[in-house]
Amino acid sequence: MSTVTLPARAAPLRALASTDHKRVAVGAGAVAFAFFIAGGVLALVMRSQLAADGGVVSQDTYNQLFTMHGSTMVYLFVVPVALAAGLYFVPLQVGAAAVAGPRMALAGLWLLVLGGLTMWAGFLTSGGAAAASWWGFDPLSDAIHSPGSGMELWIFGVVMATAGQMLWAGCVLVTALRCRAPGMTLMRMPVFTWSMVATCLLVVFAFPALIVALALLWAQRHFGGVLDGGLGAVDYQQLFWFYGHPVVYVMFFPFIGMVGEVVATFCGRRFFGHSAFILALLAFAGLSMTVWAHHMFTMGQVTNKYFALTSTALIVPAGIEYLDLLGTIWRGRLRFSAAFLFALGFIVQFLVGGLTGIVLASPPLDYGLNMSYFVVAHFHYTIFAGSAFGLFAGVYYWFPKVTGVLLRERLGKLHFLLMAIGTNLTFFPMFVLGAEGMTRRIADYPSSSGWKSLNELETVGAGVIALSVLAFVVNVVVSLRARQAAGDDPWQGQTLEWATSSPPPRHNFHALPPIRSFAPLLDLREDSEDLVARERAPA
Amino acid sequence: MADSLHAYEHVRGIYFPIAIGVFALVLATLLLLLVRGRLRQTAPGRTADAPRFEIGYALLLACTVAFLIVVTFRSETPIDRTAAHPAVRIEVTAAQWSWVFTYAGGATVSDVSSWQPPVALVPVGQEVEFYGRSRDVIHGFWVPQLHFQRQLLPEYPTRFDLRFDKPGRYGGVCSVFCGDRHAQMHFALEAVSPARFQRWLGEHARRGPSARSAS
Repeated sequence: MSTVTLPARAAPLRALASTDHKRVAVGAGAVAFAFFIAGGVLALVMRSQLAADGGVVSQDTYNQLFTMHGSTMVYLFVVPVALAAGLYFVPLQVGAAAVAGPRMALAGLWLLVLGGLTMWAGFLTSGGAAAASWWGFDPLSDAIHSPGSGMELWIFGVVMATAGQMLWAGCVLVTALRCRAPGMTLMRMPVFTWSMVATCLLVVFAFPALIVALALLWAQRHFGGVLDGGLGAVDYQQLFWFYGHPVVYVMFFPFIGMVGEVVATFCGRRFFGHSAFILALLAFAGLSMTVWAHHMFTMGQVTNKYFALTSTALIVPAGIEYLDLLGTIWRGRLRFSAAFLFALGFIVQFLVGGLTGIVLASPPLDYGLNMSYFVVAHFHYTIFAGSAFGLFAGVYYWFPKVTGVLLRERLGKLHFLLMAIGTNLTFFPMFVLGAEGMTRRIADYPSSSGWKSLNELETVGAGVIALSVLAFVVNVVVSLRARQAAGDDPWQGQTLEWATSSPPPRHNFHALPPIRSFAPLLDLREDSEDLVARERAPA
Repeated sequence: MADSLHAYEHVRGIYFPIAIGVFALVLATLLLLLVRGRLRQTAPGRTADAPRFEIGYALLLACTVAFLIVVTFRSETPIDRTAAHPAVRIEVTAAQWSWVFTYAGGATVSDVSSWQPPVALVPVGQEVEFYGRSRDVIHGFWVPQLHFQRQLLPEYPTRFDLRFDKPGRYGGVCSVFCGDRHAQMHFALEAVSPARFQRWLGEHARRGPSARSAS
């Protein structure tokens, strides 16, 4: 394809300077994965601390660890990797030659790298990295209680990464809405693309609130008088959670979208309830802008019942999405690939996170469980046991498209098995510990509490998760070295990304098949099956 | 009134069985579909949707939401209500990283040392009004045994009532991350008979606000 051949050493440069949406997305995915490893290492140190009677790191260091673990996973891994998937596959799924605003997309990558490095540079300062949790909530994060420059670097890092994410969301949203191929109507967009539309709407509407909150926090630190007193603290949290709840769905929608694609493909049938799923996604996105203060039930400063009502109402769109996933498996002919196993892991484990979310949406229960390990268990079941499994479903599914080679299935299944075991060992006991009164964000707990053995079990689980990630890395390395060519469409895909070469050419397509539904390639296969059936049948 | 313990147990008794039932139902359905799908010999089905079924199902979900919300609202109202004439009023002041309990008569309970968390006395079976605030960052007043917590904000007091139905010691911790010694910010409430409570209060009020230990 390319007429200019750059020397091999120029590859990293190309990855950081190309405006091809596929290169930007792969760069973003690689950077996000590096931050995932870094954030995971912090988690392993934290888990060692909690299994070893608080003897591994100091209290102050522990505070930096969980602050940077949460900040890294949210701001630098899950959100960027979700948007990177959109950046790569939305243009392909809607039959576009490029992403809208390719230079903005590239700028987003640079902002992610700079923001991440800025945030992590806190570890190099004398006071250490930020230590006021990933919420950075005032007044703990003000100049009196968090005087170090680590906090300043955290603010700038988060703002940069978030600004980059807003650029990406704009690019992906405009691509889906304005750059579709002829015949690709809105209702013919695949579920993953629709999940990205809902995601990007949330990014565009909710993320500015975080930038405002952090700008006010910065002003408070330097000049004061902005977020003073108790009500200043409440104001910061209103702004923060106006971002902080929608971001939870930014870390969910893209992955349920990926799972939808994987389930449809490996069940060999059309996605069930496509329209209902889209309506549910949009209702979900709308509702999710109205639930933020369920994080503030125990403040006594918000109308708890309103937020309990809107939060509980999320049952309706979530239930419809689950019905559609199960409906797609119904009457399918299943192929248990690694991607499909991860998708099943998502379906089962995310449900645990979702159902415990309904529990926490009830103030009388939240009064007893908020800020405890029950909450930690809940959101790790959504973000890790759910979204990360959805992400790996997507990775095993799309890796052949992106690289042109297949990942090893047996290593993939080993990865799945280890990760499922490790995840449940790590996070399930946290429900018990939380209900028994173990507070989150503590570097140590009383020896009289009897929590040690469960904490040790969790730490073993975290080690198993680390092994599973190692299996994945080995899989990627082995698959890229001893290459098994994937071909254009190794899975019998249904959507347009499978109608081009692997990896796709610079402008994505040489020709497009006719688009008559949200599964154009399945249409072609079903047509030919029908033709064969008609020819066989007696006239 | 102000019975957070029973409200929690009541709501939990409804929410948890439903949650577990839904999980079991989805898991069983999924396993059934997986087994059937694995054995399937014929071409996959082509049913793309089932609008009537989906609408009916959405209505069922909406009814579930309505039911859960009624349960939640009815249980929350009494917890949030504060009594017009509470038997005792205690001011709770949290600061990095200690607790001070001040009684209406002037008696005060605070940490003896960081190894000995303060133990404040409360009467059994009576409404106790708490008037809480923080002197620096946000702290959280959490009594796990009562399943109740409330955040204490700087300069902006919050009011809540609690009732202690059984005598004995109720451990408490700071639930909101508040800095380096957050994990050590413990306290306890000791529920004793109203008569013993009044006696204790009288002694400490006479001794004035400098009294530092409860037991």
